Amino acid sequence: MEIRIENLEKYYGERKILDIKELTIEKGKITGITGPNGCGKTTLLNIIAGLDKEYIGKITYDGAKLDRNIINNMTTVFQKPYLFKRTVYENIEYPLKIRGINKSEMNTLILNTIKSLEVENLKDKKAHLLSGGESQKIALARALVFRPQLLLLDEPTSNIDPESIEVLEREILRFNEETGGTVVIVTHNLEQSKRLAHRIIEM
Amino acid sequence: MDYILQGFREAINLLITLDREVLRIVLLSIIVSTSATVFASIISIPIGVYLGIKKFKGKRLFSRITYTMMSIPSVIVGLVVAIILSRRGPFGFLDMLYTPKAMIIAQTLLVMPLNFGLTYGLSKSRGEAIEKVAFTLGANKWQSVVLIIRELNVDILVNIATAFSRAISEVGAVMIVGGNIKGHTRVITTTISMMNSMGDYPMAIALGLVLLLISFVIHSIIYSYSQED
Repeated sequence: MEIRIENLEKYYGERKILDIKELTIEKGKITGITGPNGCGKTTLLNIIAGLDKEYIGKITYDGAKLDRNIINNMTTVFQKPYLFKRTVYENIEYPLKIRGINKSEMNTLILNTIKSLEVENLKDKKAHLLSGGESQKIALARALVFRPQLLLLDEPTSNIDPESIEVLEREILRFNEETGGTVVIVTHNLEQSKRLAHRIIEM
Repeated sequence: MDYILQGFREAINLLITLDREVLRIVLLSIIVSTSATVFASIISIPIGVYLGIKKFKGKRLFSRITYTMMSIPSVIVGLVVAIILSRRGPFGFLDMLYTPKAMIIAQTLLVMPLNFGLTYGLSKSRGEAIEKVAFTLGANKWQSVVLIIRELNVDILVNIATAFSRAISEVGAVMIVGGNIKGHTRVITTTISMMNSMGDYPMAIALGLVLLLISFVIHSIIYSYSQED
């Protein structure tokens, strides 16, 4: 999914947070957005995700305005993921369930995803009781399981252990290569952007 | 002092011997208050969650009005329902005044603002984070509402228990619309009130103990459920 941003302005009160004349996020590529704290990285991501609608300007997704079909084909993983008070399996099952995927297909997709992210042993555990690294893996699994066309990641690896970071980065790359899905990753870690992104935007 | 002890002794005796009058009163109280709580919850919980997460103009004023309505006096609700259901009222043809149905309607209207306000406040403070995730996973507004109810189920259960406690312990509304008719609309609180004015304490104490027991059982169930969760 290609994203085109034109004349985007975002204000918090009198303060201008974002001022982007033109920006295109290429389809099928990984784009890293970096910059210091408070420069508006997360705000931009929230606007792209459709979570923040109070802005001036125009954003199109493959040439179209944000609608239900586009929303269904994109997802976001947050810095501090919220996992439902259910098992890991049920968490990953949620986006498939609301899309009406049949049970056997759903089971295959979930098992493949948790295997890739090396969290098979957590399948039946209560998700909201997991550690930071484990939670982030489950949040990514829940996002990847329905193969979105656009994956938005907000500081997905901050404050987690190096082994988990390695797994997460590997799976983000694999997702992009295998599905051709567009990825936007917001991070203050320039090294991580260099490791993952085809293009880096500094804000 | 003696008459109090005597009252307690006779009250225990009434409970142990499963006095028919006491049982009938307790059963009707439970039926009326449970029905009212269920009806109020079915209406107010989804709407409360929905409006809690929805951004709209005048939400601050709406919140204030909602929280004010939570403490609406039961006699006012009773009076309004009585006027509406009275023979000359708009729904007088239903002939429902002084029936358990009228009591259920009055208690539903009494606990609905309380249940709605508590759920609305809960959703406003904690629902947004859940809705945000639900949205990013492709859920529509009503799927988000269902998810929020499931995620906040323990808190919502506590709200329902609070609403039930208000319903079963109120006296004003059921007295006005029910009339405290023996064997027909007499419930725990109206009986206690009447027995007190008659100086007949054993029955009043027995029913008071039952009221406390009901409250204890409900809150124990919720406590153990929340511990499991």
